[in-house]
Amino acid sequence: MIPSDHFVRFYNEVFKFLDGRPGDALGDYYREISRHQERHVLQLFREKGLQGMYEYWEHIRIEENCGMTLDLRADCLVLTMHACPSLAKVTDNDAGPCRKYCDHCPGWVIPLLEKTGFTCEYNLVDRALPQCQLTIFPAAAGRPSRVFLQPLPPNEEKPTP
Amino acid sequence: MRYRETGELHKDFHGALNTTVDYVVKTYGREALREIFRRVGRDVYRSIHAGLQAGDPAELVEHLRYFYTREQADFTLTVGPDAIVLDVFECPAVAHLRRLGITPSPCFCDQTVEVNAGLCEDTPWTTTTERLGPGRCRQCFTRGKDRQP
Repeated sequence: MIPSDHFVRFYNEVFKFLDGRPGDALGDYYREISRHQERHVLQLFREKGLQGMYEYWEHIRIEENCGMTLDLRADCLVLTMHACPSLAKVTDNDAGPCRKYCDHCPGWVIPLLEKTGFTCEYNLVDRALPQCQLTIFPAAAGRPSRVFLQPLPPNEEKPTP
Repeated sequence: MRYRETGELHKDFHGALNTTVDYVVKTYGREALREIFRRVGRDVYRSIHAGLQAGDPAELVEHLRYFYTREQADFTLTVGPDAIVLDVFECPAVAHLRRLGITPSPCFCDQTVEVNAGLCEDTPWTTTTERLGPGRCRQCFTRGKDRQP
């Protein structure tokens, strides 16, 4: 059994495997994970909207030992991750991190939010730092989801071996 | 021990792992899944692997005891000089899938078989996993008499 504590290090190895495959192999996998997550949150998000999202991520904050604040406002939910345990484990890892590790979060979150009538701005800040910010809004015309993503440095353009 | 997590446990990761197992097998084949798990055994758990290469299973024993205890597994661990036997009477990962209403993938237990194989790769140790029923198994690590360092 891979302990649940070590799932993200396994996840990281899956990303490395997919990161050199033809087509959008990583994107396809994120969408599969997104469909899996529907089991946990789709009904909650649809029925309770931003309040339901607050409840889900508050549960995640505790259970995944996140250094995160959640700010539920009338028109949006702001999640500020200042100590991401997932990236922290993946960088504290003898196998080394996948260069695109952070991409998986918007990869699974955005399809799910859009399926429930919301959009977001996802700022990944820096792929090497366990910090990011996610702001979720009710969907509105002219406001598509956006991801602010640091480009990969030129020496990391090739997949992790 | 190289990794020693504390704090809360997020057991729903076992569900994401089950989804991943099915996805990789369906899309890339079972051998791809096995190779990913073997990499976890060899590379993520590099210090356990290095210990086994040097003939020292202490970190493997500590890892098994620590994480099966942390996941509240029903298990026994028997440690001898040349053999380590982990009897799992109720796998916490399988038990959690059941709580979530998820049927374990037919390849779900590859994580155990292949991670253990990766741990033992190019070492004096060999490993076997006997599946004894749903959520039950016996994992053995045996020092090969003819390959001791």
